[in-house]
This record gives sequence, C-alpha cells and structure tokens, in this order.
Amino acid sequence: MASHRIVLCGVGALGSTALPYLRNVAAELRLVDFDRVESKNLAAQWFVKQSIGKNKAEAARLQLANFYGAKAEAMGVRLGAHNAAQLLADCTLAVDCFDNADSRIALSEAARAANVPLVHAALAADGTFGIVRWDERFVPDREDAEGQATCEGGEHLPMIGLVGAMLARTIQDFLSGSERRDFMISMTSVMRTA
Amino acid sequence: MALLNITYQGQSADYELAIDFATTDADIRRIAVEVVRSGGVRGLHLPHLQPNAFASFVVDRLTGPAGEQRIFLRPKVPFGG
Repeated sequence: MASHRIVLCGVGALGSTALPYLRNVAAELRLVDFDRVESKNLAAQWFVKQSIGKNKAEAARLQLANFYGAKAEAMGVRLGAHNAAQLLADCTLAVDCFDNADSRIALSEAARAANVPLVHAALAADGTFGIVRWDERFVPDREDAEGQATCEGGEHLPMIGLVGAMLARTIQDFLSGSERRDFMISMTSVMRTA
Repeated sequence: MALLNITYQGQSADYELAIDFATTDADIRRIAVEVVRSGGVRGLHLPHLQPNAFASFVVDRLTGPAGEQRIFLRPKVPFGG
C-alpha cells in the first residue's frame, strides 16, 4: 500500500503530461482540475479523443486506470481558499501545474499553512523554456498581457514533455528521500539550479 | 560575486566573468544585452540583439547546490495548465 499521497493541481499541459511518468510512484495520486477536455487540448495535453467533454481530473483518472491499471482520485473543482485545506489533507506532497499566478499563489498559501511540501512546474509562453522549482525559491510570473499566446499549440509538446519528465523525476527523488532539487530546462540544457 | 546565466529563445549559456550578486535587475538586463551582442557568452552570440530584448525577463538570484551564487536571466514562465 502506498505510504504517500500526492495532490497534483492543474491537469492541463504540464500536469497531464507528467502523469504517465508518475504511474509507478509509490504514492496515491489526487488530481485537481475544474476544467473540461476540449478538442484543441489533444494537441498538447495527455488526453485522447474519448476524453473530450470530460472533466480533466476525471479524464486523467480514467486514462491512468484504463491504460496502466493505476489508481488515482479525481477532484473536479477549482482550488481556492474555501477548499484548499481539504484538497491538501493527508498529502505528503503538493504539485503545482496551474496556468496562472493567482492559482499558484493560492496553492502556495494553502501548502505553507498546511505544512505540505510544494513543487512548482512552469513554462514560458513560447514553449522554449521551463522550470521545476520548490516553493521556498519560487515566485510566480504573470503574463505580460492577459490572453497572451500560450503553449496550447502542439508545436511545444516536446518541451512540455521535457519539463513534465523532469517534474516527475523531481517527485520520484523527493519520495525516495533525496533533497529538493530545482531545474531549469531549455532547448540546450537541463540545469540544476538548487 | 556570481556567475550570470542567460536564457534566450531556448538557448541557455553562462557569462563567465563574475558579476556582483547585488547588481540591480536593470543593470543585469543591460549587461546581458551588451555581452550577448559582443560574443562574450559562448553559444549565445547575437550581434543585432534589440536593446529591450530582456525587458520582460526575470532575474533570479539563487544559491546553487555547491553553495555558489548564481544569477539567472530568463523568460517569464506563467504557464502550466
């Protein structure tokens, strides 16, 4: 039986892409996302056509179960001050894959209040760069302009995969008792920064 | 003193001359434009880089795994999803 529980917040591009790399971790997964799968998401997120219209957390739970026999818990809600404590309850680790600064801040505040370690993953808009960074060294970046082009297009999928893979490795290392490592991922290197 | 790493358009490279860790963000951005234009950053030589190329970039000051001080000039990372 898994001795850890991980809450993964945001099951879009980064969150869903990291999930298949987490299917073997010795932890129960709790997936949090209020959004639904749209056809455009298939280009850059780990969803299949049969998932269109489903809640993303529930669709990811079903795919993990159907593809790999891996169990997860789906919470199809928006994380906020009203429910953050419940969503983080009994968790060994929180993972931030949200797509906006306000949600990242809300999660940071909740994780600090609950004393749950939190690791963030984030991508540049042009899909050429990403970071994996622990909460104690993380400051969320805001978009230059609201509605700025995002990494939704499939052309950025390889970089999303790279960052997702490094996030999964960082989680694995944490669960196995290693130190909390940060990474910067570019087209030319994966650099450990802490 | 600290080493400066610059990430631009997916390329990431170090400027090998040490910079004062307390250098202001504005000065970091100005220095970065100069050294990238001049070829001072191996692997990141852009002679025609625009003066405002790093205007919206983030300056991170971090202590590395071996205790070394590093400054990172990087694009914003607002997305995840």
